[in-house]
Amino acid sequence: MKPQLQAHIFDAVPESLEPIRSLITSFGSVQGIDKNKIYKLCLAVDEIASNIINYGYPMAGINDGTINVSIDYNDNKLTIVLEDYAVPFDPLRKLLPTPEDLAKPIEEKSIGGLGILIARQSVDAFNYEFTDGKNRNIFVVDTD
Amino acid sequence: MSFSVKTEIYEKYTELILEGALDSSTAPLFSEEVKKIIPQNPDTLVLNVEKLDFMSSAGLRVLIFAKQKLGTTATLFLVRPQEQLVETLKMTGLIFSVNIVDNYPE
Repeated sequence: MKPQLQAHIFDAVPESLEPIRSLITSFGSVQGIDKNKIYKLCLAVDEIASNIINYGYPMAGINDGTINVSIDYNDNKLTIVLEDYAVPFDPLRKLLPTPEDLAKPIEEKSIGGLGILIARQSVDAFNYEFTDGKNRNIFVVDTD
Repeated sequence: MSFSVKTEIYEKYTELILEGALDSSTAPLFSEEVKKIIPQNPDTLVLNVEKLDFMSSAGLRVLIFAKQKLGTTATLFLVRPQEQLVETLKMTGLIFSVNIVDNYPE
């Protein structure tokens, strides 16, 4: 299959979450990628994009931020890269809920950390880098 | 794909019917609806999620909030969740705090 590359820019607002997911879903469907994998990829991207929108840009005092979404499909690997200019935030350094936390009854559950846990567990590889003043969150799904 | 939530109050339980996509842009609608029913203190909260096609942690946080506000004696039922939603519940341990059923009343 020919390599495919696409790039799109979205306003960093909650209303962009659905169009970002739609973009990934239609791309995945055209490429014939398993629906369950696409759902999980959408979920992972949605969680990180939500953090950028709800915390990253507000903490940077920026109210007209953007999120660049690029999709690359090559060699049975679907890669999504989110780029933003919000405050540097490495989801890999965020303390995740421990198995003990997750086993707690719902009444004692703390509400934080679930999104990043979901993001990291829903793709085959998740990476983060901060370069040229940009956060780059990289999601990889193996499709073979 | 948008989101809608509808509340139906019965004598023995309260049912919320959720449709569409529950993400951080639509979770506030779900949260508002939950806040409206909390004062009535239902023993049983039934969430019909058969037509809920997407749910992120923003939706899970509302579930946790609802259960925490309603207290330990209240029971939370999820009617016909799609498989991907069940996976998310498993991943986050919330699967142990909800009752998944095909119909309510069963």
